[in-house]
Amino acid sequence: MLDGLKTFLLKAVDLSALTFLEPVVRLAWGEEPPVQMRRIGRNIVIPLIAIGAFLVAWTLISDKIQTKAGKLPGPVATYTQASKIWLTHQQEEEKKAAYDLTGPGREARLAEVETRLDDLVALDETARQGVIDAKAAAADALAQAQAPIDAKIDALKGQIKTAKATRKTELKTAAAALDAGNKDAYATFLASMQDGAQAIEADEDKLDVLKAQYKAVTDATHDPLVEAQKEATRVAEEIQHLTAMKDLLGGRNRGEKLAGLETKLEAATAAFYTAPGEKAYNAANKISMTKRSVTRTTQANYPTPYTLPYQVLRSIMCVFVGFLIGTAVAVPVGVLCGLSPTIMAAMTPFIALFKPVSPIVWLPIMLIIVTGLVGDPDNNAFIQFLWKLPFIGSYEVNPAFLASAAVVALCSLWATLANTALGVASIDQDHINVARVLKLGFWNRLFKIVLPSALPLMFAGMRISLGVGWMVLVAAELLASSEGIGKYVIDQFNNGSSESFASLIVVVFVVGIIGLLLDRIMIVFQRAVSFDGSVASI
Amino acid sequence: MPFLELQNVSKGFGPASNRYEVLKDANLSVEKNEFVAVIGFSGSGKSTLMSLLAGLERPDSGKVMLDGKEVTGPGPNLGIMFQNYSLLPWLSVTGNLEIAVKQVFPKMPKGERKEYIQRYIDMVSLTGSEYKTPPELSGGMRQRLSLARTLAMKPEVLLLDEPLSALDALTRSVLQDEIIRIWEEDKRTVVMITNDVDEAALMADRIVPLTPGPAATLAADFPVTLERPRDRATLNFNPDFKTLRNKVSGFLLNLSEEAKSLKIASDLVLPDVKPVDFTRRYESVG
Repeated sequence: MLDGLKTFLLKAVDLSALTFLEPVVRLAWGEEPPVQMRRIGRNIVIPLIAIGAFLVAWTLISDKIQTKAGKLPGPVATYTQASKIWLTHQQEEEKKAAYDLTGPGREARLAEVETRLDDLVALDETARQGVIDAKAAAADALAQAQAPIDAKIDALKGQIKTAKATRKTELKTAAAALDAGNKDAYATFLASMQDGAQAIEADEDKLDVLKAQYKAVTDATHDPLVEAQKEATRVAEEIQHLTAMKDLLGGRNRGEKLAGLETKLEAATAAFYTAPGEKAYNAANKISMTKRSVTRTTQANYPTPYTLPYQVLRSIMCVFVGFLIGTAVAVPVGVLCGLSPTIMAAMTPFIALFKPVSPIVWLPIMLIIVTGLVGDPDNNAFIQFLWKLPFIGSYEVNPAFLASAAVVALCSLWATLANTALGVASIDQDHINVARVLKLGFWNRLFKIVLPSALPLMFAGMRISLGVGWMVLVAAELLASSEGIGKYVIDQFNNGSSESFASLIVVVFVVGIIGLLLDRIMIVFQRAVSFDGSVASI
Repeated sequence: MPFLELQNVSKGFGPASNRYEVLKDANLSVEKNEFVAVIGFSGSGKSTLMSLLAGLERPDSGKVMLDGKEVTGPGPNLGIMFQNYSLLPWLSVTGNLEIAVKQVFPKMPKGERKEYIQRYIDMVSLTGSEYKTPPELSGGMRQRLSLARTLAMKPEVLLLDEPLSALDALTRSVLQDEIIRIWEEDKRTVVMITNDVDEAALMADRIVPLTPGPAATLAADFPVTLERPRDRATLNFNPDFKTLRNKVSGFLLNLSEEAKSLKIASDLVLPDVKPVDFTRRYESVG
């Protein structure tokens, strides 16, 4: 039973190519502990140490790099920003849910929100007071820090002034006593004058140093004040969110709005039937207007802003759409190329010509073509059809999205095409002989012999394609202004707020991790279809 | 009239300027339900001969005849069992049989087909391994599966291309008995290629030696008159068996000597070298 579990786990580890977990499983069953420990050391501990070293280096370097947009965010700042992005996303989800909430659920939620708001008012007061206190404390601390330096500066200034005056009088007296015609005496006088100027200059340098110190003290941040301000901001943000929630659970709630409209409609209907003559026209008009409002309110959705998680989902969908289009083109063409050397010869120039073209060149072309084909999305049957689909509908597919997907397809299909052609062309002669002896027809031969034997290479190509597609996508979205990670990046870049820099670093990790996951998924597929178990593990 | 016949068949490869004649004017006739073993050295064109018989290759000149008709291409009636298994590695044992059975007997109902496949799996003792794929099977099991697939096509002629050469001695003798048992149960025409005289004498009705290539051809045959069923344990003491084995072996050895002398036409002159004793030099030094 336990051994069965072990075999299952080892198989799962092998299939998912997470080979670093293999020694852990083996160790759990007590198999050769020293060997497993060594492998764990190499495959798990060393990478963890490397990650740790990276984080330390990152922290150290980020402190040193000062830009116009602030310091380069370190690991902590990046993590904070990531949590913040996630919090914003959750709050938007909450709002969306609140908008659609009805009945007792709505009332309970509203009560909850109101209680929390009441608490927050007190908290807000405290936080504000905290800021005021911290500001006062900071001002005190600043004054205390400034005072000695200030005193020193004043003293030095006075010293310099006195020295200058004394020097002046001395020199003037000396000048008066000069013996006209005595060249040596004149030279000595000139030298003593320059000496005196140097001494004063040295003092003035000291003064500059003190002034710099003063500036540093003045510019230094006061940590308790920063903390107090952060807390105040946090509370203010929560109040803002909860106020919006209260609004959405109350007056702006869909159910409430509809109820209000129903009452209005009833009143209007009652008024209509009793309205005399001309007034009946106005009453009827009111009824039809109210009915229209009801329809609009029923259909309206809460307008969710584009948070990063939403953009990420949209990007993933876009990459898969592009990848599927690319695969749908690449596999049949690749099979044809592999089957027939003639077709291969005909296709080779096109493959060689179009493969190196950058996504940045394809995008404007695709954008023009797609926009030309679609025209107005509101009146296009295909786009409208996409909007009505259950899952895809919520992503509002638009021409920019389709153009991005098309660019992904165009840039990613080559690897699949080349690998499929290779896989089909390099089919084992023995397997062809089997097909000949069995007298398999063209389709049977294709589906039962050729494709299965080409599948592992085909999937290896698709894995490369998906990786390329994911890289291309961000650039395409950025250029096409298609909602997604690329759009988020350019928005943050243009936004230039103090948080944007950290958001961009968060995006780096998000893109990296999703790329990694996509690759893992493809590895699992590739392993599942390979029959000789000779698939690369990385 | 012979059932399967090679009539002056020649086959070569390569361009005209550098042509390698593998077979030249080979003649063979096999009666219906006869078991013929073709024996020869490696590289003498045995596999080419088999490909010609199976219709996988067309002869340059001459004809391959089956039941009075010329063989123009491969088909399930010429059941060839390949030297290197040729199993489809992505299909299970059942799947490998099913693809053949479905193709040869398209009208067989599903239930019957399942039973039919199971019968052949049992016949080659692969019961219990139905859902394993070829890479998970041992060499002997793969060979047995290959045999089962060939037999399941119910071919008129069974062409065995060194079916047992890749196996260890023990598995080999088991499979030899297995093939003979199946053949005796369900008589059909068999041409087996082998490089083992004992194997040929044990299994075949007739042994046909193939002269060494290039331009190999089939020499005069040796009928095997030993009575069936033949028992491998007692066979070794059978005088007829001994005589036959010596005759065939001697013939083959002669052939190879002949071939050697043909190949090395001129005498090689060895350089006149004398041995030098190096030890003495080291002694003087050290």
